[in-house]
Amino acid sequence: MSLRRQVYEWRNLVQNVGDSVFLNGYPISWVGSCVTAAMSANQPVDIFIGGIGNNLDMPGRLKAYQYVVLDAIALWPQTLSAQLYVNTTKYFQDPDRVPSRTGGIPANIVPFPNGQDGIINYDYQDGLEPSLYILPGQNWGVEVTSSVNILASSSATETQIQKCFIKYLLIDGADSLVAQHLVKSGWALTVENIWKFKQDIIKHHLYAGMTELPAGVTKGKRKV
Amino acid sequence: MSIRKQLYTWELYGDGTQGTNPIVYPAAGIPYSILYGAFGNTQAGSQTGLVNEDQFVVIDKIASKPGISPTDFTTATDGGVTSLTSWNPNMFVNIVIDTTGYYQDPQNVFANGVSGTASPYPRQDQVMPYYDLWPPIYVLPDQTLDIRYTLNNDIIASAVPANWNVIPITTMLASVFVEYTNYSGTDAMMARKLMNLGIPITPSTVDSFRRLLLENKGLDTETFSFYLKTVEAERKREDKQKRMQGLDRHHEYGSDVK
Repeated sequence: MSLRRQVYEWRNLVQNVGDSVFLNGYPISWVGSCVTAAMSANQPVDIFIGGIGNNLDMPGRLKAYQYVVLDAIALWPQTLSAQLYVNTTKYFQDPDRVPSRTGGIPANIVPFPNGQDGIINYDYQDGLEPSLYILPGQNWGVEVTSSVNILASSSATETQIQKCFIKYLLIDGADSLVAQHLVKSGWALTVENIWKFKQDIIKHHLYAGMTELPAGVTKGKRKV
Repeated sequence: MSIRKQLYTWELYGDGTQGTNPIVYPAAGIPYSILYGAFGNTQAGSQTGLVNEDQFVVIDKIASKPGISPTDFTTATDGGVTSLTSWNPNMFVNIVIDTTGYYQDPQNVFANGVSGTASPYPRQDQVMPYYDLWPPIYVLPDQTLDIRYTLNNDIIASAVPANWNVIPITTMLASVFVEYTNYSGTDAMMARKLMNLGIPITPSTVDSFRRLLLENKGLDTETFSFYLKTVEAERKREDKQKRMQGLDRHHEYGSDVK
């Protein structure tokens, strides 16, 4: 039972020259060995299971008692774009309703870190508005697309590393039941709304406890 | 009995040598505690962060030193000695309460945590943090709190004479910052009561609750009703302010029953 603000960061860093992926964690680098994997231009790469950079064993999939509110995304360098997907639906699309041909939201709008090369995230300061809800059982992920070919490097500098950052609210356990009620009623899934809903539940229980019991109960003979 | 806004910083500086001593510099890829770990300015008694039975802790912020690539280090040469002047640690921080890690990855497995790039310390005017620890984390009485950092850039492997001769004691290699509110004594009891009622624990809600206790001698159901009315009045004031500022959005639960 919890509300937790989670993060996930992807970079195209790997451990050894010739590697393309590093599973479940981040590779160790030192001066003279900061190895990055190559990326092809205009080829979307899944940051969870795309086979480039740090990856997971499995795609992001929510358990039956979990909700995710995806509220921020950021990336760098400027040639990178990011697309969100839930099951088979892409979030960013062109005006003709085809998934964004440029790969989604560009790093120039959401630079990572915020302020890189003097570029500030002014347009998406509050993240996605409205936030993207991912419901129990759904698959989700983020794809990054580079507009240029990225060559592998054995000694990459800060600005040469491709990176993508996502931030989301993970709602699980009993709080996911509250989230379910809020979604069904059409309310936004925010921390404040979940707190308020729980306050109301507790308030109603308190009032219920004040109610007098029926006379048949209060004046009846004890049965035990 | 008090409410104190506390902070704890952990910092790792050079030791005036080249930087190859494994007793001074943490190994890369391994998590260490900022409270009782073997490196940096940890607590003298190396105590774990046990929250006493008369305390209640709310963690508000967590941040660490930014920077990913070890290649971007800088040096200064003086008198033939090359000194390391800045270093990117590529570090992550996780919060561990008892045996549970706060940060997990999308496959629901314990993760390294939040990076210094997302939540930097020290903060600079040209880099704004993306990460905000909201909602805050409540650490209850008798729970153990730990903050663990992981450095992914290896200082020892980087310390060869071609790169630098000395890491001065003024060069900060890694750092972690934690801000928390410590409720103790009767304030901790009030915080616990508010948590049980589903009310957010902030200094103002605890202060407000204390006033209610003094005025009404206890939080019975009547008082709770009064308290909710007070909170509602405050919310209405905030809503009015938002409307006047043109920021009102009709997506808050309960906003249709004003």
